[in-house]
Amino acid sequence: MLEYFDVFISGLTNGSVYALMAVGLTLVYGVSRAFNFAYGSFFSLGGYIAWVFMMFLGLRGGYIMVFILSIPLLMGFGYFTEKLIVAPLRKRSDWEVKVMMITLGLALFMDNGYQVIFGPRMKSLPPMMEGAMAVGDTFIANQDIMIFVLSITGILAFRWVLNNTRIGMAVRAVAQNPAGAQIVGIPKDRIFAATFGISTVMVGAGGILLAQKYFVSPMGGWDILVKSWVITAFGGMGSIRGGLYAAFILGMLEAFVGYWFGLNWVLFALFGVLLTTLAIRPQGLMGKWG
Amino acid sequence: MLSVTDLDAYYGQFHVLHKMSCTVNEGEVVVLLGPNGHGKSTLLKSICGLVPRVNGAIHYKGMEISKMPAEKLVNKGVIYIAENRELFGDMTVLENLKLGAYSRNARKAEKKNLADVFSLFPRLAERKKQLAATMSGGEARMLAIARGLMSNADFLCIDEPSLGLQPNLRVEVFNIIKEINRQGKSILLVEQNIPQIADLADRIYVLEEGRITFEGDAETAIRDDHLKEIFLGM
Repeated sequence: MLEYFDVFISGLTNGSVYALMAVGLTLVYGVSRAFNFAYGSFFSLGGYIAWVFMMFLGLRGGYIMVFILSIPLLMGFGYFTEKLIVAPLRKRSDWEVKVMMITLGLALFMDNGYQVIFGPRMKSLPPMMEGAMAVGDTFIANQDIMIFVLSITGILAFRWVLNNTRIGMAVRAVAQNPAGAQIVGIPKDRIFAATFGISTVMVGAGGILLAQKYFVSPMGGWDILVKSWVITAFGGMGSIRGGLYAAFILGMLEAFVGYWFGLNWVLFALFGVLLTTLAIRPQGLMGKWG
Repeated sequence: MLSVTDLDAYYGQFHVLHKMSCTVNEGEVVVLLGPNGHGKSTLLKSICGLVPRVNGAIHYKGMEISKMPAEKLVNKGVIYIAENRELFGDMTVLENLKLGAYSRNARKAEKKNLADVFSLFPRLAERKKQLAATMSGGEARMLAIARGLMSNADFLCIDEPSLGLQPNLRVEVFNIIKEINRQGKSILLVEQNIPQIADLADRIYVLEEGRITFEGDAETAIRDDHLKEIFLGM
């Protein structure tokens, strides 16, 4: 029985980070209808930024300093990426497909860039917290608790901003009715870039959180890209609540399938669930039509 | 207050407005009449910075505004109130109104404008917490006008406010527009309901195929044979 508890904790920890990242992806889709295929490479970017700060520059202050420094970096990177390569396409016909192509190109460029700059070998990061907490007859690694707490804090902070601040209201307005948002004088283009920036922070933070458990490697983002898309499609395109549920369901599924059948079957199972869901409910768990 | 000179505007590939000119003086209600699809909405949207391709000049309070994006114009006091309302359906009435006051110019006056709007539309005050998508056609129309007023604008471009409303609500909407005008706002209005316009409009323009074909006061308009032919089929 005890090993199931460990598997459950692992599912919960990964699920929370997936939730953080899926919310970021679904946000960009929900607000600006853009598909970001470089999302996985932004995940690796977070990991590499943390590695540069901690291992390469030997920065003091641990993960707190890493987050303080990398959040503005990631935000700026996302913001200007949108301004430079996504926004110009928006004026053209079929821009959604063109955005997929250009972000896919960006992903290849970034991943090969990592390989050139950091080499093909994996980088490891120290755990956020050593030790473990006793729970009955078993233990939960403090690291897992930290990952869970920080991911959930990130999601709650995001929710708070969305519901309680002027910019959050503007983001929801653009998502619900871009024409209406333009009429009341919301600078739509700046909101698009800002949401891209926020989503980059969310996936980059996910990269930092998971790097200590799964290493950082140049091509490590593809797995995350696939999982984030599966979660987003499974939860319902553009639905934040749906993405949250989907992330935890798939996190658990991954942990238990990996435990019972081996890691090779994880993606198989994820796509099995996705295809079944989409066959019965094409809009995903909580998505809306159109 | 507003003057449009030799304006050409395009809707996608279509050339909708052809070198048209018109003016609105401070404190006036000017009504644009014309068959559907002849460019009335495009004119309003061009003035409000919502049409990407315009040529010609638009002056507002002496500024040339034809190339200004909507977010700047809203800040300068020009607001568009859409025919299809363009509300934020999954948000409450209050949130819609607050978003109406998004521009910097509107933020300072948000409290005062909210109180004014609620006294003008008591029904919206009762339904503050209701989601916009669940409102009836008439209430949604009121909310669209109220959201426009929240922008603190001096100049309102109102697009067919009576469209799809039953007669008693139409009268209510026109009374409210009259009241808004009495409070000092200048209004450019697109309408089809001739009888109600007569005592609302200071001046009338008729727009056909992207060109102004009539200009004059309401009295003259009602007596004009050509207009009767177009609008009343007489």
